[in-house]
Formats: sequence, structure tokens, C-alpha cells
Amino acid sequence: MPVVKVLTDGIGEVDLRSIDVYRSRGGYVQWERAVRDLTPAAVLEYADKSGLRGRGGAGFPTGKKWSFLPGNDKPRYLVCNCDEAEPGTFKDHMLLEFTPHLVLEGILLGAYGIGSHHAFIYIRGEFKEGYRIFTQALEAARAAGFVGKNIFGSGYDLEVTVHRGAGAYICGEETALLNSLEGKRGEPRLKPPFPAVAGLYGMPTVVNNVETLAYLVPILKNGWEWFAAVGTERSKGYKVVSISGHVQRPGNYEVPVGTPVRELIEIAGGLRPGRTFKAVQPGGGSSACIFDEHLDLPYDYESMAKAGSMMGSGAFVVFDDTTDFVKAAYNLVRFFAHESCGQCTPCREGGHWLEAVLERFVHGRGLRSDLDMLKRVSSTITGLNLCALGDSIEPFLKSVINRFPEQFEGKLIKETVTA
Amino acid sequence: MADNAAELVSLTIDGVPLKVPKGTLLVEAAKQIKQEIPVYCYHTKLGPAGLCRVCLVEIEGTPKLQIACNTPVADGMVVRTQNAKVDAGRAMILELLLVNHPLDCPVCDKGGECDLQDYAMAYARGTSDLADPKTSKPKGVDLGPTIVLDEERCVVCQRCVRFDDIIVGDPQLVLKDRGVRDMIATASGDPYRHNFTGNVTELCPVGALTSKTYRFKSRPWDLDRTQTTCTQCSVGCQMFSDVRFGVPLRTMSVEHDDAISDGWLCDRGRYNIGFYDAKERITQPLYKRGDTFMQISWDDAFALWARAITDAIHLSGPQSVGTIGGGRLTNEEAYVAQYLFRALGVNNLDWRAGRQRQATPGSRGGTLADLERANAIVVLGDSPADRAPVLDLRIRKAVKRANATLVRVAPLDVSPVPSIDVVDVAQAAAALPATASSIAVVWDGIDAAAVERLLDALPENVTVRTYITSEQGNARGAETMGMHPRFAPGFAAAENGLDTEAMLAAASDGALAVLSIFGANPALRHPNGPLVRAALAKTPFVVVSELFMTESAKLATLVLPAKGAFEKNGTTLNATGDALPVNASLQAPEGVLSDLEMLVGLAEQLGVNLPAQEAVHAAVIEAIAQAPAFDLGDHAFRTRAAQAATIPADGLRVAVHSNVFAGDGTSAHDERIVALRPLAEALLSTDDAKVYGVSSGDRIDLEAGGLTLHNLSVAVRAGIARGTLVLVDGLATAPANSFAPGAVVRVVHVRKGDSTLVEA
Repeated sequence: MPVVKVLTDGIGEVDLRSIDVYRSRGGYVQWERAVRDLTPAAVLEYADKSGLRGRGGAGFPTGKKWSFLPGNDKPRYLVCNCDEAEPGTFKDHMLLEFTPHLVLEGILLGAYGIGSHHAFIYIRGEFKEGYRIFTQALEAARAAGFVGKNIFGSGYDLEVTVHRGAGAYICGEETALLNSLEGKRGEPRLKPPFPAVAGLYGMPTVVNNVETLAYLVPILKNGWEWFAAVGTERSKGYKVVSISGHVQRPGNYEVPVGTPVRELIEIAGGLRPGRTFKAVQPGGGSSACIFDEHLDLPYDYESMAKAGSMMGSGAFVVFDDTTDFVKAAYNLVRFFAHESCGQCTPCREGGHWLEAVLERFVHGRGLRSDLDMLKRVSSTITGLNLCALGDSIEPFLKSVINRFPEQFEGKLIKETVTA
Repeated sequence: MADNAAELVSLTIDGVPLKVPKGTLLVEAAKQIKQEIPVYCYHTKLGPAGLCRVCLVEIEGTPKLQIACNTPVADGMVVRTQNAKVDAGRAMILELLLVNHPLDCPVCDKGGECDLQDYAMAYARGTSDLADPKTSKPKGVDLGPTIVLDEERCVVCQRCVRFDDIIVGDPQLVLKDRGVRDMIATASGDPYRHNFTGNVTELCPVGALTSKTYRFKSRPWDLDRTQTTCTQCSVGCQMFSDVRFGVPLRTMSVEHDDAISDGWLCDRGRYNIGFYDAKERITQPLYKRGDTFMQISWDDAFALWARAITDAIHLSGPQSVGTIGGGRLTNEEAYVAQYLFRALGVNNLDWRAGRQRQATPGSRGGTLADLERANAIVVLGDSPADRAPVLDLRIRKAVKRANATLVRVAPLDVSPVPSIDVVDVAQAAAALPATASSIAVVWDGIDAAAVERLLDALPENVTVRTYITSEQGNARGAETMGMHPRFAPGFAAAENGLDTEAMLAAASDGALAVLSIFGANPALRHPNGPLVRAALAKTPFVVVSELFMTESAKLATLVLPAKGAFEKNGTTLNATGDALPVNASLQAPEGVLSDLEMLVGLAEQLGVNLPAQEAVHAAVIEAIAQAPAFDLGDHAFRTRAAQAATIPADGLRVAVHSNVFAGDGTSAHDERIVALRPLAEALLSTDDAKVYGVSSGDRIDLEAGGLTLHNLSVAVRAGIARGTLVLVDGLATAPANSFAPGAVVRVVHVRKGDSTLVEA
């Protein structure tokens, strides 16, 4: 079993919420080393050469993202995105609650790496406990002199602000997050300008996921070669995968990127006895399903994309033969329609319309013409939206409608007697 | 839009090569080749928002369709605004917009001029797979005194939201809730109210936002449209008057009026059109015998008027005749008025009937475009937001878009854009950034001495432009046409006559026999109300041309029913010196004449030959072409200094300020704007509020010299000086000029918010 303990090291064994416990295991050593001995450019080099890619879903190379910041003298901000809300994802939630100091140390390293003096963490509104735990960790770190003015006597100042969201999926989208952080309505911004140029309060900003930032700590400790040595050609390092659905032991499992799909199912205890495999949604609610023929693919960015899906945030949802895919599709489309901010037409109206039609299917009242409509509308709106939310509606729906058409046909209203 | 207009970018749209300035958005570039790209959320004045997604175009080399509204041109870009892919994308957007949009076009005010109808016709599939019911949302939502919202029709383009934010700087409207449930509402839940609300009904591409005054009144194709100039204030916004069956149903802005209105109208100009058919309008000359008015014919009116003038000149000379008014006349009328009276040897002519002393900024007067480009703007006196609302939008634009510094001297209101508020001119000069190379000074034509002190304090190498916002729309025109005791048309020197102050003083001494007042109401607007009332009572023959029985008309001997601005033709001169057409769109009620027609009738009786229409026209143009050689502080204007700053020992010194909806004529007799009229307010400083134990919302009675003003609503404002009490100018219900200028009033009663009466 390839389960590893990098970020998850110590979780469930010791109380990592305690700054003393965290420090006794080497915590904040990398932070001290970075501030004392490394330049920001050196930290960026670690991020870059490790091949670390964004763990929030888009998989954008972290070092490259940082390098987009313009070389001006405006204040620049690092924002840690802890608005984890992708259906099926629950890894950041765990990291925040069980190893808050690792998350904080990652944020500090990221902020230092981009030359920022003010970092923010945007915590999903529902993570009330995580908010409390993280805030306590931050206060302990501040008391220890790791955050604030003149850190380690180096003259470097870094402030960290914790902000709780109000519970909107869309605020995980980075520009909606920035609006929400500024106290505005949580709706995505029109791009360009991109956050690297004009982000939080109009200043150059990098938004990184919790897990992405947390991996900076072991990367600095072990060297970029250590991280880059694991994984596949372009997908490096480790990943915390949230495995759920029809498996016997759902949970977060940290594995090398590229672990075969089949193996991930086994790690989570495999299917329930007597059940057969139908599909996996490998990258959260926004991703298309993959099927039997994909079970031996390595779980990495490229392979999942080649299979017509994505690795996304690492939300790995398994479906066995008991699944009603019409209901599953309805459930997800309803989610996206409910979470649409409503500012742009395709997402607002399209999501709502698809939800209404699927709701009829769930009740056995689908029309034959609806089958075309579901495909036509969901595919046409994809690519027309202001942000990625509207483009998230199609993949799952399309993949299951094509793979299990009989399930949808079975929900059509019974033909009426014609004269 | 482009930083460097000289730098051109070459691209191809629909096979047509074109060059446009770098930075131009595709949606604007396409206009150059007359290719329309449909838009809902994009608006030239609001910029891109990227919400509606209907402006899809294909750009070679980019797999996904792109939105033309937020895509700047690039060198070598090949764009297609029409092909199968683009058409399919647009058709999808329209199909989606119609999923929940009610098809109530037959009863929708926007029907016939609706972008959703038009684009559906141009780009939609014509069929829909929709098999489910549309969402249900609130209809007929009362947003505030002017606007009604139909949430179901809203296509969420957020133009209204962005207008409040970007143009007005007072972001009241917001998008609430989310997804398909989202709704336009005020953030606070309070009524939607500012001076520019009506513009959102024009920005709204569908029939979601409608004006209360126009709702369910007409189909747009049944309206007769006339373009004219708004004369409600001195900005001179171009507007359309849309009339049906002789009733003005609505006014609309003129989109391409960039030079003056910038495409906007204020709510006073837009909505205050309901007085034309008010039942209180005077429609026959009224002659006072004893204490009562009797209706007489125009022939008798002219005869009586001419006889009074002839007798006065015969008995006491032309100095016993006076004429006041002109700011509500056309240039032609003002020209003829002064021509006629000067022909009789009468030099007592003055357009000034209120607080204002000067309407022409003189040699340093600027254009609205200059104002928008100023590095710094200083505002003195009455707030331009209330004197010239659409000009104030230019100030906000300069501050918001170009980071101009706004400095306001002793303001009474809160600026919607960042401003440096100072107490006097010396502080204003000190607050200006040293880097400012162009400074605009916007004042109210009252205290020229203060403006002079400011100009003296400015560095010599900066360009200074001055602007005067006037109390009446054509004040500058009347001044230019020679309705002035020292100026003939075109500011030529004239034989000196009495100005309004001197005429009133002479009249109250019994030295004036005839006083003709054209379109002015000094009894309410002149700062010295007691003097005006005494003067009019003492003068044997007072003529007032008016639409309604105003305070001045009630004191007249002869009241002449006059036409309003929509009922006559002519020209007007706005605050920045642009001569603008006034075109009639309405038939006046029978029995009503324009001031020009009255003057012609009078001239006939007096045997004075007036110049022909063409000659008047030529004279008006020539007068306007004469650049005023004077600047501020010219002795011709006799400045009215601000009241002494001493704090009265016992009581409060009265000051006044303008409100755009105050007035007892067109504003008071318009049922459509009842809710917009100001309260009879008394503004007090925080200190004085403590002294008198009052807070905002309480009511007070004021007394001075035996006169009492009742039931004024208290509003406590931080910006007001201690010892000063500010009243709204021109409110018939509580005339601010009840007391003599600089009067010290006592607070005699206080009614707390809970109605308990307290003796002060």
C-alpha cells in the first residue's frame, strides 16, 4: 500500500494543535531557516523546481504562478484559499483542524516566497471549529515570535489575517474569494486583470490552496529533488486524496501522485462485498466520471485529463452498481445551480433549467426531447461563462448520460396513448 | 480609453481591415465598420462587466468564443462577429435569457424599444425546448419614489447597480441573493432615492426598471418625440420630450450628448413635466381690483399694462418703471424684453430675482470637458449637486476616474466621492495639491469676493477655469441678452439703471410706479422677503408673468398666464456658454401666451416697433459671440457677501441652501414629483442641537421680528457652523426668506419625535 505520511504525519497520533508538539517534531524550523538564511527568490526556487502544482483543483504550477507577480513596489498579498467546498473534497478541512501549524508555516513560507508582508487565510464559513483551532494556532505562533514584526530578529515583518467566509461555494473561485475578503458580494471578477496584477484591494496577489502551501514545508525540509522524484512525468510529489462513495473505509489518504486508480479504491477498503464497480468521479463534483477501462490509469493530472476528466482537488468518489445516476446527476446539477452567483447568464439560467428538467426525471417525468436538451444545453453553456462554475455543470452529467443512457430512458414519462 | 491615442492597432473584423487606437475594446472597434455586436451588460459609459455573455465573437487562434466587451484589440487579430459558431453561442444565450423572462411584452413599457425583443428577433432560434414553468418573482416592486421594479423581467445585467456605483458614486442598488433567485434591491432596504434614479430606466435593456410616472401609460411608437434642451437648471442637458395626445408622458436623455449631459438626466429635469397640465395653471389674465382678481381679456391686459407704463413715464419719468426677471425666458424673449424697455428709456432692468448676483463666469469660464479634465476642483457656496445635478456628475467623474482632488468650502451635504471639506477659502487654497496644473472653481454666483480671494491665493502658473451654477436655467442667457442694469446685449456698456436691490428699495419708498416681473418669484426667492413684500405692496402697478399663482403673482396687480419651456421655441444659454435650442413639443393651454407674445402685445399698445424675428435671432447670436471681457469682482455685479461669521448671542442666524426639488411653481404643482420635494428642514450644527435639546426628526418653530415659521423638521449636520441655522431656499410651505437677511431667529417651540411639546 503506497499510503505515505508527509502532511498527514502525526495526525491521529499526537496533538499537532499544540505548538510545542509541532515544534518538537521539527515545526517552524523551515520557517526560521527561510527567514534567516534564504532569500524569497530561493524559496520560490524550491516551489518551482519541486514541480509542485496547485492542489486546489486547477493544478497550475505554483512557482510559475508566483513568478507572474509584477516587479513593482506595490504591496503584495498572499491569500490562502481554505474555502474547500468542492463536492467530495475534505482534505483542507482535515489539515486545518488537525495540523494547523503546518498550514500556518506553509502560509508563512508562501508569503515570504512572494515578498509579501501580509497574508490572509479565507476559511469557509462552515469550518467553525477549524477557524477556532487555526486562530488559536496563529496566536500561539505570534506569541512565539513567528508572526508579526521583526521575525527572528531579521527585520522581516509578516502579518496574517484570518477571515471567515459566509458559506458560498463560489467564494472558492479566487476572484470571488478576493471580493468576499474585501467585504463585497462574493462573485467572480471579470478577468483580465488577473489577481497577480490587481488582486486583493487592487494589489498584486497570489491565491494558493491550503494543501499547496502546506507542501512547501516538507519541500524546504527535504529539498525539491525529494518531491520531484515522486510522481509521474509532469505531476510530481504527493497528494492527499479524499476518497468517498461506495468504498468500505472512506477518508483522506496521502499517496504519491500517479498511484493507479484501482489501487486508490483498494486503499479505501475496496467496494462493499458483492458489489460491482460502475464509475469514479476522480476530481470532485466538477469532473466527469471515468469507468472500468480507466482503472489502471495513474492518478495524475495528465492521465485524468486524457480520460476526459481531471484530478481536480483530489476528491475521489466511487460509484457501484447500486447507483441511480439520474439522481446523482440531479444532485450535482442542483448543487451548482444553487451555488451559482447568478451574475452571468449561462450559469444562472442554464443551471436552473437543467436542474428543473432533471428534477422531473427523478420523478419519472422526463420527456424524450429533454434528453437532447440536457446534452445540448449543458454542452453549449460550457465555455461561455465568466468563471469555471458554469463549466462544471456538464462533465458529470454528460459522462453518465452517455455511459448509462438506459437509466435516463427509464425515467421518461410513459408514452401516452395516441389517437 | 486608450492611453496613447496615436498608437494604432491593425485588425480584421468580418474580413474588413481596420485600424483603431490601442486599448480599444472589440465591441467599440466593431462600431467603426458599422457592425453591431449585441450587448446587455456592456455600456459605453459603464464599461465592460462580462455578465450577459451575448457579445460573443470568434477570434482566430482562440478555441472558445470570446466576449467582445472585455477583449481589447490586438495587432493582427482576426475577428468574426458572424458565423455558425458565434450564432449558436448567441442563440443559446438568448434562449437562456428567455427561460425565465416573462413574455408579457404586450403590457411591458419597454415593448417596442426592448433589447431583449430586438436581439431575440435578430439572433434567437425561434423555438425553445422549455417545458417547465418559469420562476416566479416579485413584480411591481416599489423601489422608491421614482422607480418600480419587475424582478421577473430582470436579466441581471447590473447596469443599474454599476450606474449607482460608477456614475453616481452612491451605490444604493445591489444584487441580492444568488443564482436564479438573485434580485435587484437597495442594500439597506431603504427607498431608492438620489437625484439621478431615472437614468436606470433607460439603462435597463428590458422592462425591469420603469418610471412610476410613465408605467402603463403608452406604447413607445405612439409617442411624438421632440428633441429640446432641459431648462430646469443651467446645465442645458439635451433631452427628448415624448408626448401623446398633448400630454408630456416622459423625457429621455440623448445618448450622444457627450458635450453637455454626458448622456444623463437628473430626476428634476426628467420627472418634473407634470405641471404642464396641472389644474392650477393660470389660463387667463387676472387683474386685481381691491383684494380680488378678476379675469380679463388679453386686449384689456395689454391696454392696462401699456397705460400704466405710459402714465408712469409721463408723470415720473422712465426711472419709475422697472423690470425684473429673465432667467426662465428664452434668449429671444430676454433680448426683446430689454429692447422694448430700453426703447422706452427704461434702464431699470435686472434678471436677478434671487440670491445670485452673477451668471457669466467671464474670461475664465470653462467647458464641461475642461471640468472633467481638471486636476483639482474647488466648490464654493451652494452644492452643485442641487444647483446643477448633471454638472455635479462631471465633478464626480473627474474625481473617480481621473483622481482629481475635490475641495469643498463649508459644504452642507456629504460628498458621494472623496472630498476635502474645509471651512474657508484660505484652507481651500492650502488643500490643493501642489502638482495641480488645472483647477476648476465651481461656485453659485453669490459671493464673488470669496472666489476672488481664492483665485488670488492660487499659483500663477496654473490654468483656472470658473463655473457658475445658476438658480434659473437661462440666467446666463438673460445676463448676456442685457437684462442687466449695466449691460446691453453682449455685455456692451449700457446707461446705468437700478438693479433689483435698488429697484426694491425704490419701490418700498414709493418711487416705482410700474414693476414688470417675467418668470421670476422674488417674493419667495429673493433673500430679503420682507423688503420684496413691502416693495410689491407699495408699487401701484405690478405685472407678473407666471404659470401659477406664486407668492409674487399673489402680490401683483396684473397676472399674465405664461407658457412653459415645452410650449415655446427659442434658444437658451447654459452655464458653460453653449447656445442651445428650445423646441416646443406641447400645445399650450388656450389663453396662455409666451413672454415673447406678451412683449409683442405690449409693444403694439406702446407703439414701439420691435425688430423682426430674423433680426432678433441675429442679435442673439451676436450677443452670445461677444466674449465677456470681465472677470470676477466686476463692479457690474455688486457681490453679495456671506453673512458675518459672528455667532449671535441669542438665537441662530439664518442661512439658506438650494434643493433641486424646491420651488413653488413647476415643482410645487406637479403631482408626479410629490414624493421628491424636500421637507421643510432646518439644518443645525451638532453644538446647537445640544443647546436646544433637539435631534434629527424633531420639529421646531422659529420666530423673529413678530414672524413665525412653524413645524420645521430638524436635521443635525456636522458641517454647519455654530450659531447658524440653514433653511431650504424656495419652499412655499416654509419660505426661507420670511426673515430679513442675516436675521437672528429664536427657537420658540420644540416638538420631540414622540410629539411632546416643549417650550424652548
